[in-house]
Amino acid sequence: MIDEASRLEADALAAIAQAEDHAELERIRTLYLGRRDGLVSELLRGLGRLSPENRPAAGAAANALKVAVAAALEGRGAELEASAALARPTVDLTLPPRRRWRGSVHPVSRAIADVWAIFRSLGFTRARGPEVDTEWYNFVALNTPLDHPAADEQDTLYLASGMLLRSHTSPVQIRTMEEYTPPIRIIAPGMVYRRDSYDATHTPAFAQIEGLVVDESATFVDLKATLAEFARRFWGPAAQVRFRPSFFPFTEPSAEVDVKRVIEHSDGRREEKDWIEIMGAGMVDPAVLENVGYDPERYTGWAFGMGPARVAMLRHGVADLRTFYENDMRFLAQFA
Amino acid sequence: MKVSYRWVRDVAPGLELAPAEAAQLLAARGAPVEEAIDLGAGLCDLVVGKVLEVGPHPGADRLLLCQVLGSEGPVPVVCGAPNVQAGAYYPFASIGAAVPGGLRIGRRKIRGVYSEGMLCSERELGLGEDHDGVMALSGEFAPGEPLAAALGLDDTRLDIEVTPNRGDLLSHIGIARELHPSGQSSLRLPPFPGDADLDGVSTVRAGDSYQSAGVRVAIEDPELCPRYMAAVLRGVAVGPSPRWLADRLRAAGARPVCNVVDATNYVMLEIGQPLHAFDLSALRSGSIAAGPARHGESIATLDGEVRSLHEGMLVIRDSERPVAVGGVIGGIDTQVSASTVDILLECALFGPAGVRATRKGLGISTDASYRFERGVDPTITETAIRRAAALVLAVAGGEIDGGIVDVNPSPWLAPTVALRPSRVGRVLGVGFAPAEISELLAPLGYGVESGGADQLDVSVPGHRSYDTLREVDLIEEVARMRGYDTFPDELSRFLPGTVPDHPLFRLEDAVRAALVAEGLSEAQTPALAPPEHGDVPLRNPMTREESFLRRDRLSGLLGHLERNLARGVRDVRLFEIGAAFRAAAGEGAAPRESARVAVAMTGRTAPLHWSGMAEAFDLFDAARVLELIGREAYDGARLLPAPIGSAPPAYLPDRCLALVAGEADPVGWGGEIDPAPLNLPRWAGAVVGAEVELPESPSVRPAVAVREVPAHPASERDFAFAFPADVPASEVIDAARRAAGELLEALEVFDLYEGSDLPEGTRSLAIRLRFRSLERTLTEREVREACRRVLGRVKEETGVEPRG
Repeated sequence: MIDEASRLEADALAAIAQAEDHAELERIRTLYLGRRDGLVSELLRGLGRLSPENRPAAGAAANALKVAVAAALEGRGAELEASAALARPTVDLTLPPRRRWRGSVHPVSRAIADVWAIFRSLGFTRARGPEVDTEWYNFVALNTPLDHPAADEQDTLYLASGMLLRSHTSPVQIRTMEEYTPPIRIIAPGMVYRRDSYDATHTPAFAQIEGLVVDESATFVDLKATLAEFARRFWGPAAQVRFRPSFFPFTEPSAEVDVKRVIEHSDGRREEKDWIEIMGAGMVDPAVLENVGYDPERYTGWAFGMGPARVAMLRHGVADLRTFYENDMRFLAQFA
Repeated sequence: MKVSYRWVRDVAPGLELAPAEAAQLLAARGAPVEEAIDLGAGLCDLVVGKVLEVGPHPGADRLLLCQVLGSEGPVPVVCGAPNVQAGAYYPFASIGAAVPGGLRIGRRKIRGVYSEGMLCSERELGLGEDHDGVMALSGEFAPGEPLAAALGLDDTRLDIEVTPNRGDLLSHIGIARELHPSGQSSLRLPPFPGDADLDGVSTVRAGDSYQSAGVRVAIEDPELCPRYMAAVLRGVAVGPSPRWLADRLRAAGARPVCNVVDATNYVMLEIGQPLHAFDLSALRSGSIAAGPARHGESIATLDGEVRSLHEGMLVIRDSERPVAVGGVIGGIDTQVSASTVDILLECALFGPAGVRATRKGLGISTDASYRFERGVDPTITETAIRRAAALVLAVAGGEIDGGIVDVNPSPWLAPTVALRPSRVGRVLGVGFAPAEISELLAPLGYGVESGGADQLDVSVPGHRSYDTLREVDLIEEVARMRGYDTFPDELSRFLPGTVPDHPLFRLEDAVRAALVAEGLSEAQTPALAPPEHGDVPLRNPMTREESFLRRDRLSGLLGHLERNLARGVRDVRLFEIGAAFRAAAGEGAAPRESARVAVAMTGRTAPLHWSGMAEAFDLFDAARVLELIGREAYDGARLLPAPIGSAPPAYLPDRCLALVAGEADPVGWGGEIDPAPLNLPRWAGAVVGAEVELPESPSVRPAVAVREVPAHPASERDFAFAFPADVPASEVIDAARRAAGELLEALEVFDLYEGSDLPEGTRSLAIRLRFRSLERTLTEREVREACRRVLGRVKEETGVEPRG
């Protein structure tokens, strides 16, 4: 009798598990639990034929069988219900989401932010200064006498008052050193102005990022190392940096800094780009330190300047600088 | 600076570098080569051919049949040129050779006779325009010799970028000095055809003036002109230069003029000393003096201009008038011409500052002024005038009359600079032994001697006497000659700086992030504007459109919004962070400069979506953005309707809000833009905008002090007030807020209704108040009490009663 109950349970549960629709489940329910001639009902009816001592155990087994089969029927029924719901959805999920406008950071701002992130991790802070400045801050304090070719008025925009629009961010060097004592470790992003007409590589106003370090132990090797580290972090670990001698009135020795981007493709191919002039740099000229009252015997310094728009042009494959200043939504939105 | 590399090698025998290697070394030394031009490009297949015989062509009257000896035995060549002569040399292309332009010579049968090559004209070789006959080569050649070598075209012209501190590189000698491993000591001046020995000609030296060969030479201002040398050459024949001289000038990118002028240019290009030749007969009273121009003087210069001179400009004068602008340009009245017989050759040293001021005042730049501004070697003056004189005699004939005059009031002395090897290491980060420093500096002409413990006494050569006068200048030379690439790039320890990160950058970052999150795109425009958008004019603007400093940022942004619409872009959302400038209060004071953030928007507030139409931007979107910026930039900033007459002109006056922080004037404005002055397409909807001035040094925000999150339930009550349209909603709202007391958690305006079922000129405002206590669940009575207060106070203060 008990064996009979286990066999029936196994059969019933197997049949229920395989049932694919509600009609099949109903057929199984009738087959096993049907009141008149269901197999379980018949089994219960057969209890009466058992001896009294066997009856309680068999009765419990038969009732358990009834409960188990009913539960299995209900469970499978719910499963079928759920998959039926999936099969005929009430919402069309292929419709587009409810979107909002996505804003974007200007590619030149983004370049500045990325440069800043790297220098920040190298211990730099940000300093700033006015865009309208004096000849003293823009030229003279930077060891550029006004009759020097580098201070050519042809290249600088002047106000009627004799003040000028700074032609580089280097005046921030002077203003920062006047206000603070070494160690100095700053970058100074900002707009600068030149008397240039618009073409593919020139605009009269453009962003620049100045860097300045003054300390008792700042050396040319530090300068090289820091800018090489910057380049590797910005353009990837294989990027190379090359220093070439150059001339700026406010640094000595002075260097042009070139970078060679090396792209390591996932298939192992190495693509070496051409050397590209990316910034000017050098050891702060002792005359500049003297001009702000620093003792050039005690302190040495180094400085650099780069154009984030140029960086952004390289990065995004923009061939014409003017593209950045047209502010066409269809251009800007690409940086969303 | 354009140089003929062949010429560079001529002045530095033993220089073995190929042109490309030289270019690399120059770049590593700080003088990058912008362009290297192979002058013989296309001529590599051509050789010198010797015509052995010229005979008639058996089948054509106009053609000749020549026997030409090239790199192989004599071959028959058919030629149509009338000027072919037996025994002469011509450019020859044999079978298989390519001529410039790509044509390859094959064996051709011409009127029944095979021609095995071609004699070429100048034009066929790209060397000139002459196509009347084949190009006859003058001189003796070996048949088969490469043509480019025979013509001096086996040469490369290097176009070198020279920084303003390196006047010494503006000559072939200067470039050679950088390139030759032994530098200065390898240099020599190569002899030229007809080079005459002038050793017998003496130099007479004088303090301030001297009279020789009937000519008086004087210096009036030794600041402007520290040294003036002159030579009188009589009986010259002015005419074209010989081929070698013209070729050499052309190879260096210069244009031959006439033999006398070419000779002076040759010496300038070779040594770096500009010279000038005067027609002696045009110099009145045979007198020449260098000094300042006088008031009211003018001069007709070689370029055909008549130039008025400012007092103090550097001029050369005869007894009556200026005859040249010293170190800049000669005068047309005294120039060398075809009829010139006697010349005065000037070789002077002019001070950089005087030449610069003079040439800037005149607005010109010449090869001579370019060199004097950057400093001409004070030790080569005599070498240069002797070489130039010898060259004039060689190419134009004549003879020197008298000696060479040298007016030199205070002869130049080589400066000595003390250099500490320890300081070299301190600046560069790599230690240098004294011997190493000496080895690096010597090729450049520096004399290095020990001056005691940790000191080298370095005597500076004339060609570097303008840019290496300090210890640090020599340190740069040490680094440069060692090679920047030889320095390691190992990071070292550093101390943090004393300069705090400027808080305005942080504020700008926060505002940028907030506006990007609002769906706005950052724009960048220059702070230069047309007069209508600026208060501060530029003294030297380039265009009217950019002749002022921008007074505000919104105007520039609206221009870009217009351009976007003009291109058919309907949804424009731009913002910008940048400086704006207001005129200063006092005369000559700095304009007031402030950091601004501006916003301009038009179109839909969201992309189109199937679930419903997106709304168009209106002034309350501008209000949101204005409030957002205000919240980032100022403590307690709030929006107020712009008082009558105060709205900036860009806005519709009745649709403008002011952003106010504290008691001061508004720090920003926002609202609907007046479309009248804008150039908008007909389909354009409302344009809204805002602009906020950011604080100069924003305060750091205090940390958020957290309020307890409520644990007890809230009670919400809705009210509707109908009130006259001329009562501002804020009066009702503020009264309700004040009356609700401390149990009020939030007040929201959730509906504004102006339907026809309301009395004329009335509107209905729906407000939801949420009451909550942090300590307990509010009783119905407490909430009812608060509501009663609200209704009472609103009526009391505004006369407005709740609606039905």
